[in-house]
Amino acid sequence: MNKPKVGIIGLTGCSGDQLVILNCEDQLLDLVGAIDIRDFLTATSANDTESRLDVAFVEGSVVSQKDEDLLRRVRERCTILVALGTCAVWGGIPTMDRDQDRPALLRAVYGDLNWEYDTCPAKALHEVVKVDLNLPGCPIEKDQFLATVANLLNGNLPLLPDYAVCTECKMKENNCLLIEKKQVCLGPVSVAGCQARCPSLNIPCVGCRGPCTDANLKSAAATYAENGVAMEDVIRKMKTFAPVPVSEQP
Amino acid sequence: MKIVKIPKKKLDLFASILRQHWEIHAPVEQNGRYAFKPLTHWSEARLHYNRTILPPKKYFMPPRETMFHYREGKGYVPAQEELDQRLILFGVHPCDIYAINILDEVFGGKYNDPYFQTRRKNIGIIGVDCTPDEHCFCRSMRADTVEKGFDLFFTDLGEEYMTLVGTSLGDDMVLMAAPLFEPITAADIQKYKQVSSEKRQAFSLDVEIHDLPEIFELEYKSEIWDELGDQCLSCGSCSMVCPTCYCYDVADTVELGSKAGDRVRTWDSCLFHTHALVAGGENFREKRSSRIKNRFYHKQRGMVAEYGRPSCVGCGRCIVGCPVHIDIVQVINRLRGEDHANRG
Repeated sequence: MNKPKVGIIGLTGCSGDQLVILNCEDQLLDLVGAIDIRDFLTATSANDTESRLDVAFVEGSVVSQKDEDLLRRVRERCTILVALGTCAVWGGIPTMDRDQDRPALLRAVYGDLNWEYDTCPAKALHEVVKVDLNLPGCPIEKDQFLATVANLLNGNLPLLPDYAVCTECKMKENNCLLIEKKQVCLGPVSVAGCQARCPSLNIPCVGCRGPCTDANLKSAAATYAENGVAMEDVIRKMKTFAPVPVSEQP
Repeated sequence: MKIVKIPKKKLDLFASILRQHWEIHAPVEQNGRYAFKPLTHWSEARLHYNRTILPPKKYFMPPRETMFHYREGKGYVPAQEELDQRLILFGVHPCDIYAINILDEVFGGKYNDPYFQTRRKNIGIIGVDCTPDEHCFCRSMRADTVEKGFDLFFTDLGEEYMTLVGTSLGDDMVLMAAPLFEPITAADIQKYKQVSSEKRQAFSLDVEIHDLPEIFELEYKSEIWDELGDQCLSCGSCSMVCPTCYCYDVADTVELGSKAGDRVRTWDSCLFHTHALVAGGENFREKRSSRIKNRFYHKQRGMVAEYGRPSCVGCGRCIVGCPVHIDIVQVINRLRGEDHANRG
């Protein structure tokens, strides 16, 4: 049987999602046994950057023309494009304040050197090309990545949860940080899949996986504000990982 | 029904005798709340508690459960690893026992669920009476006392627990520890009546469920549902902590590089937008308002039609666990036009 050809490609990002893949230590041999990794710059310098790919996993967000060109080339050479990690799925941290005046930002960071930078307001992959599957997370969950590969190998898309972190948090019978400690825990609006990793360690959810499809941002924001946090700060917090329209909802 | 009593100071001895045959799980304090957990020492058990974060349903239908494995060449292989675990839940409140009795109807009626049934058989229940707090309304839901569903039931008489024997298994437990139990006296009976009356008067929440299905039917188009839809986060918390929410989702997992895997069922909630989403993209309950309405209707109306009573037992967990303060008692009272029904 021909093994599916796979590319793991990074745009602008921290490579954290690619590192999660490399950290699948117990499964790495199974992984390379099942798929033919052709293009994975983070792991090898011997890459085939031209061949057809059955599946491309693309990490990072689009913050430059160079990113955009690369993404379009990847889209053309692959059959299934998977957005890998919150930056790819939602735009991530680079999109938190993307509507700000770009030249002013450049001046603030680099002074008056007037260097020509290839830079544009950050975008998620789906804002540039068609994305077939989203694997959110900052970083992604190992189990969800492996389940995705296993399902794709069987011709299926994986079933990933699209409900809130609260659901997994309750399944683990954790104390509620929002209700009991009045903390701004983004669990009720953030997509599950992490098994409520942070609230299980008494750390409020920061929404690193992005919102669930049906997130009621407005009602949640009002609840956080009720706990004495300024609405401005609530909205800023909710927009950390995804450019969500908190105030225009529902 | 056989009724005896056991001095409180002998409970640890009783527990140690039971432990020779069963693993004991009881309410344990967890940062100011309670959770049923396996005991390492009897002293960890808290028989005076308001409510556990998750109800005992977690023992009969775990949040995630492998139903069977599928293996190439072997076909379906039953997953029974955890089904045989014999344990005792020590300190279950009447409302929670009532809820398990309702689950019995659901999983033991027309569609017999072998997973639930096997666990039900292997898990003993020792109930304990309680004092209601400000979120309890089990009395309104007729679930403040139970006649069945427990092996033993304890009522606090001060120095002793009066012990109702509910099943032959419960009788075995008492016989196993026979020297610890004593016959009850006339004074105990008086004390029991006093405790029972005090409990009755301790409720601050009240909700009238008589003709509730009709009220729900009449208020199907009430604007209350839209208001709740704007408020609800669809976070699923209320369903997870509800002792009678039994919806589950079934999906197959597959192992990397093979055609083997597991069929797994997971707690689900009718508040999720995916709950009524079907192939082709049609969603029968697209709007949050219709989903939260469905949840209340199923509890308070649908279950009455199917099983003769609402499936809500008034445990108060959904009230305590809702991040946006949606309160079932207030909703019902508003639907009835009785916003003042809180006697507190």
